[in-house]
Amino acid sequence: MEHAEGHGHHITALRTLLFTFLALVALTVVTVITAQIDLGAMNVPLALTIAIGKATLVVAFFMALKYDNKVNFLVLTVGLIMVVVFVVFTLFDTAFRGDIDNVDERTIDQIERIEAAAKG
Amino acid sequence: MASSSPATATAHADAHPAHLQHHFVSSDQQFDAAKMGMWLFLVTEVLLFAGMFVAYTVYRVWHPEVFVAGATLLNPWLGGLNTVVLLASSFTVALSIHFIQKGNQKALLINIALTMAAAFVFLVVKYFEYTHKFHLGIFPGENYAYADVSVPYIQQFFSIYFVMTGIHGVHVLIGIGLFIWLAIRAAKGHFTSEWYTPVELVGLYWHIVDIIWIFLFPLLYLI
Repeated sequence: MEHAEGHGHHITALRTLLFTFLALVALTVVTVITAQIDLGAMNVPLALTIAIGKATLVVAFFMALKYDNKVNFLVLTVGLIMVVVFVVFTLFDTAFRGDIDNVDERTIDQIERIEAAAKG
Repeated sequence: MASSSPATATAHADAHPAHLQHHFVSSDQQFDAAKMGMWLFLVTEVLLFAGMFVAYTVYRVWHPEVFVAGATLLNPWLGGLNTVVLLASSFTVALSIHFIQKGNQKALLINIALTMAAAFVFLVVKYFEYTHKFHLGIFPGENYAYADVSVPYIQQFFSIYFVMTGIHGVHVLIGIGLFIWLAIRAAKGHFTSEWYTPVELVGLYWHIVDIIWIFLFPLLYLI
């Protein structure tokens, strides 16, 4: 119903593809320039934001997910949620090691070995 | 009827396209199934690289200064050039699909060839970057031997750099192989506006390779 052409496949217009490409090149220039300026703690989030914007353009127009079957969007979204879980839950461990008083950075094995050595 | 294979000839009525396999209701259903299968595979590719991005994040949180020092040893112009080369190749892949959807087999072949050429340029640039690093004594892990920059833990940056760009490079190499295969089939006239599924699926793969580089470039070369 939403398809103009015979067999139901969306044909992305040439100018849409060209504008997507030009926007991607422009954003690449922006990310190179802003990285040369010292923005302190903001450099990393800014570069990541631009990269996510570029990736979104590629997915939406070059991969035509915007015009595609919604189930493919669901597949990608579930995958990306897993990536976020992967990163965040790993950081819950690694970024806070030693922050809680009764937790030792050493493993139980290492502590026991040191205690055994101290006893002689 | 006479030209189709015996299996399909007996089971189906006429007006049955040659590319449509027995177990699908229609060409559209077959196409959608293939495409969803490709998206599932691409998610596993994203998760493969996610493991390496997690390693990057963990080590960067532990030793941020190492990543700032490491980036200064990479050439942002070569990295930027390769970014534009890959973006252009994503554009030509999208064009190749656009043209075969309109039944233009010649423009399909030209755009596949252009994409292949861009992928090749990418690997040549990467070759010069790697050999320059090796020349300086910048090797992954314990083999790092570049005296001018010896920030503690700098080896971690270059281990991550070589593994991430290396596995990405293998994906580019596989892409070149796939484009050669597509070019041969396109030259034989296998693809039409009715059936071009392999072009579509390889195109999706190639865009994911491009997206991985979109993240690698700023994370390794710039910040």
